[in-house]
Amino acid sequence: MRLFTSLAIAYAALSRSWLRSLLTTLGVLIGVAAVVVVTALGTGARERVGSQIESMGTNLLFVWSQPIARSGLRVASFGLTDGDAQAIRREAPAAALVATYCDQKLSVVSAYGNERTDVVGVDSHYLGARRFEVQGGRMWTPSEELMKAKVVLIGQTAIEKLFPGRDPVGEYIRIGKHPFRVIGTLKPKGQSPFEDQDDRILMPIGSWRARVDPTMAGKVELILVSAQSASQVEPAKRQIEAILRQRHRIQEDEENDFAVHSQESFQRGQEAVYGVLSLLLLTVAAISLMVGGVGVMNIMLVSVTERTREIGVRMAIGARRLDIQLQFLAESVALTSFGGILGVGLAAVVVWGLKAWLGWSMRMSGSSVLLALTTSLAIGLVFGFLPARRAANLDPIEALRHE
Amino acid sequence: MALIELSKVGKDYASGPEVVRALKEVDLEIGAGEFVAVIGASGSGKSTLMNILGCLDRPTRGSYRLAGVDVSGRSADARAIVRNRLIGFVFQGFNLLPRTTALENVELPLVYRGVSARARRRRAIAALAKVGLADRLGHSPAQLSGGQQQRVAIARALVTDPPLVLADEPTGNLDTRTSYEVLALLQALVRDRGLTVVLVTHEPDIAACASRVVTVRDGRIQADERTAEPTRAARLLEELGGAPE
Ligand SMILES: Nc1ncnc2c1ncn2[C@@H]1O[C@H](COP(=O)(O)OP(=O)(O)O)[C@@H](O)[C@H]1O
Ligand SMILES: [Mg+2]
Repeated sequence: MRLFTSLAIAYAALSRSWLRSLLTTLGVLIGVAAVVVVTALGTGARERVGSQIESMGTNLLFVWSQPIARSGLRVASFGLTDGDAQAIRREAPAAALVATYCDQKLSVVSAYGNERTDVVGVDSHYLGARRFEVQGGRMWTPSEELMKAKVVLIGQTAIEKLFPGRDPVGEYIRIGKHPFRVIGTLKPKGQSPFEDQDDRILMPIGSWRARVDPTMAGKVELILVSAQSASQVEPAKRQIEAILRQRHRIQEDEENDFAVHSQESFQRGQEAVYGVLSLLLLTVAAISLMVGGVGVMNIMLVSVTERTREIGVRMAIGARRLDIQLQFLAESVALTSFGGILGVGLAAVVVWGLKAWLGWSMRMSGSSVLLALTTSLAIGLVFGFLPARRAANLDPIEALRHE
Repeated sequence: MALIELSKVGKDYASGPEVVRALKEVDLEIGAGEFVAVIGASGSGKSTLMNILGCLDRPTRGSYRLAGVDVSGRSADARAIVRNRLIGFVFQGFNLLPRTTALENVELPLVYRGVSARARRRRAIAALAKVGLADRLGHSPAQLSGGQQQRVAIARALVTDPPLVLADEPTGNLDTRTSYEVLALLQALVRDRGLTVVLVTHEPDIAACASRVVTVRDGRIQADERTAEPTRAARLLEELGGAPE
């Protein structure tokens, strides 16, 4: 009852000098707005990275070869081979799809232009694992794959570069001295966290090794494994490691000459980056909130001095110390929560603006708004405590004699 | 049983290295329904006495019984409750809260008593009506004359129905006519409600309105006399003539 009365009195006092209240609470306002905007940025970024990683495929594992140091000497890796991929396909029950992959950024020539794009050699499992789909034309046939035919599939960005405004199916491109026939186009997939997934040309890996980089004969750069399910990602990783350690004759005490990364580990990496960034910005916000809190404390101390006589009157007519303390605490809480509410409003405007004009992906979460409001309340309590106690400890006679 | 019983009350103030003995061995009994004027030179100890009577301060020595209860050693919060329940204050400088309506000012003691908003409003309106300000409920102190402000203050002192009203130079800031008006109001309250009033004043004509005059000198009670025939403030007003404001 008393608390409610104090709050009502406090809001009445605030509304009487709203400009001063606004200025006092500016620090809290900005701090709260910063917290909410930063969190919105973080939430938006995480969701975007999440959906981008999702677009790459599901439950993916990436196997790379990696040079190792053995007994002090740096030994070149043996690399990964078609044989490794076949062994995984055969012996790892947790693996659903196993694809081989090589790529290089190269200059590609068409009748209409000459552009650099990603030239990728893959086997037919790759499209399934990475969820690429053929949009126009057709996929290459098993016999074309076997024959190392000079056929390619082309992504949407590469089409814009090489065949602007045209249907590329049936056209030819030249890579180095070899002409390739475009037999199909890929459905657009958009951005991954690393690259534009549509800026690429796919061909059978045999053709790639024969015409693009003959030094890679029999080898693969990357083995892409899609696990049976989310829960099978870890078992698949263990099975792949066991198979490759055995095939590469790695001793018990030696490190792997290959690395297996899960899609999830990329996501964790990205989140760590955003985490550091958010922490930095939140520190700035916390400092702003602190400064705001000190400002509120200062104004409350001034207010206690200005209203010493009022405090004396209230005490004379029966206010107990707790009544006075609650009154001033309520005022500082009213001030900071007022700042908090305006701060959330400002944040909403900023988030809306960044989304509309800069196209940033942001999302204001309810929990961040709640957190910001709770924080502004807590700041009012903490920084209002000292002034409120000072008011409550005044002597009624001296307070009445003040001025 | 007297409403106020002071026995051997002393009050010291530490003023630098010296001790100022503001009150020395004061014995005083005031019964219910008395109208007591306290007079004396400036610095004689009148305000010190009033602060002790009002439970705003504690005596250094001696005991103070208010309505039969010893309040001299009570804590600050306990004294706040005693003030709220038993005492109404009227100050020289009115001491209304600025930028706050007359009604809200009068409601304030009831807020600290925990009275519900509706009952507060009803009782504050009644108290303001009793002092003749029923038509000024929404006015802030700045919109009221000095006499009106002091009447709001009296309404605030009376709204809790206390047995005792203490007034330290309540007419000090008022002209003669308004002084008499305030006094007439207090006399009527003593007569009609059996209220006890203790009032500090410099002016002999005001003191003459009281039923008893206590003279303080140098921290002691020098004289304590009952007035056979107190002046009626209402008559003084009539003698002044002219239209009341
Ligand atoms: N807080 C105080 N500290 C020191 N001396 C005080 C204090 N209050 C009053 N005094 C002294 O006590 C004496 C009585 O003061 P007071 O009761 O205010 O007199 P009056 O109201 O009759 O003018 C004076 O000498 C005054 O200086
Ligand atoms: Mg005095």
